[in-house]
Amino acid sequence: MPSNGQLAVQTVDLTKVYKVGHTEYPALRGVNLKIEKGEFVAIMGPSGSGKSTLLNLIGALDRQTSGKVIIEGIDLRKLGEDKLSLLRNHKLGFVYQSFNLIQRLSSIENVEMPLIARGMPERIRRSKSRKMLSAVGLASKAEKRPTELSGGEQQRVAIARALVTQPTLIIADEPTGNLDSKTTQEVVDQFIGVNKAFGTTILVVTHNPDIAERTQHIISIRDGLIEKDEYLQRIDSYSLG
Amino acid sequence: MSMLIVDMFKLAYKALIDRKVRSVLTVLGITVGSAIILALIASSSGLNAGITANIQKTGANILTIRNAGGFFSAGSTNTYLLSQTDVNYLKGLPDVVHVYPYYSYGASIVSGGSTLSASVIGIDLSALPILYNGLTVAEGTIPLTGDTTSAAVGWSIANPISGTPIGLHQMVEMTVTGIKGAKSGGISYAVLASAILTQYGTALFSNIDDTVFISFQAATYLSKSPYFTGIYVVVDNTNDVATVQNTITTYYGSNVRVISPGQILSSIQSITGQLTIFLGSIGAVSLFVATVGIVNTMYVSVMERTREIGILKAIGYRPKQIMGMFLSEAALTGAIGGVTGLMLGYALSFLMGGELAGSTFGGRFGGGGGGGAAIVPVFSTELIIFALTFPVLLATVAGLYPAWRASRMNAVAALKYE
Repeated sequence: MPSNGQLAVQTVDLTKVYKVGHTEYPALRGVNLKIEKGEFVAIMGPSGSGKSTLLNLIGALDRQTSGKVIIEGIDLRKLGEDKLSLLRNHKLGFVYQSFNLIQRLSSIENVEMPLIARGMPERIRRSKSRKMLSAVGLASKAEKRPTELSGGEQQRVAIARALVTQPTLIIADEPTGNLDSKTTQEVVDQFIGVNKAFGTTILVVTHNPDIAERTQHIISIRDGLIEKDEYLQRIDSYSLG
Repeated sequence: MSMLIVDMFKLAYKALIDRKVRSVLTVLGITVGSAIILALIASSSGLNAGITANIQKTGANILTIRNAGGFFSAGSTNTYLLSQTDVNYLKGLPDVVHVYPYYSYGASIVSGGSTLSASVIGIDLSALPILYNGLTVAEGTIPLTGDTTSAAVGWSIANPISGTPIGLHQMVEMTVTGIKGAKSGGISYAVLASAILTQYGTALFSNIDDTVFISFQAATYLSKSPYFTGIYVVVDNTNDVATVQNTITTYYGSNVRVISPGQILSSIQSITGQLTIFLGSIGAVSLFVATVGIVNTMYVSVMERTREIGILKAIGYRPKQIMGMFLSEAALTGAIGGVTGLMLGYALSFLMGGELAGSTFGGRFGGGGGGGAAIVPVFSTELIIFALTFPVLLATVAGLYPAWRASRMNAVAALKYE
């Protein structure tokens, strides 16, 4: 197990119970995990195993029922709504299966959105966003709207949006679920490139064992509990890809 | 570290543009409501200003005495008649500087195939500049006291819209009506135009421009009566008007009617005030409906954009920022509606001013430039500021609840929303 001593994410006895009427549905039943800075992690598990719930809690989008989520040493329970927003804006980047771009805005405007929330002046955020679009190979599509882009291109815009804030943790929820295998490889390459270049911690929920194969650390979840937490031996294998 | 206002409005603008038809319809509600209110306020203050100017022109220090059976007390059976005795009594009152008895009749003038209706007023002609402040002679000279063949002719009689103009020293031939005891078709009467008056407008219940002023003596011969139509009493200063009016009213009781300009002003203003309130409340209702329209549009918009709100939350927008974004959409809707409403209201007020001027009410008391002059709507600075800010305020208030709902959405649920 590799260790540089610094944790990007830690959960302690994390539980989440959904209530519908008087019936309780436990989605997470005490999850303990540790992810170190700079790791590329896959979270796997069947539908309904609780992986999306886990991702939402780590992403500070939802509140746990009990236990702790600690992001870079910060216990999320201690943060109010505004501080959580600030944390998401400055430390986290999200990538979704359905891309979640704002349809009426162009690629570059979508990428700019998190910077607008910071009050960054237009000139600066434009240039940052343009650079980021170039980095994902979409410089020429900056003025196009999502509807004018292919699925792979849309996902690259979403990745650019997640990266433009220089987050320390990227959370991706089945980012290749809507993409063909070739595009899937491109997107995974992108993640690996970012992970290597900036040391960004990347957390990917996936069904796809090929993607999991290319990470360093696979966490398997079943019925709200961690079933398996394993580090792959070939830590540098992805660099061959 | 906070979102720039300018960015907030840019995003709001893009969101409104994205739903063009809906945005236009929402704005239209505000435009119409606001335009109606503005047009009403502007034309009724224009009407008021016209009346006020009129009465101030006449002079607030002049009282009009009429026998009680006249225009201002229809249905009265009082038969008191004003005569020289009354003139003598009035002249003896303290603070009274001039007393002018007058005769007033209707007249028609046939000129080049069309008939003009006019008034004939018989009065001491040296009183004209005193009674009608600022009235001057365009051509010729005012006939001397005792001249029974000459007249001072109003502007519109000398320069009729249709018909033959009457020049200086020409004869004015007319049929005078309303003389007691005269034959029913009226009396033919002709005078020499020795003065043509400047354009003046309405004062002391007559349109000066439609009036032929003849000397008091001439009128006495014409009417063959020692009884006057009315008496003008000029008080030395405005502060004493009420005292003099009281004295006269006490003396005569219900035999005569004493009319002061201030009294007329306030009664007309109360009528126009009520008119404004009535019509204004119709405008207010339409603005209210428009506001409910904004609440509705915004609410639907928030629901439709649930997923977008989820995205905003995920990328780190704070609840207050999300609320601000939706509020700026509402405010922008109000601002556009305010500007277009002001423009439409401006146009509308001139239309309404014209309509009002066409009626007797406006024609008699309206603008100063002649009988059928349009009421000039008054857009004060306050009104313009109100027109531009109130719709914004209203729309922002309308946006509060939808925007609050947006800001309080659960991020996870919002992101799952289809």
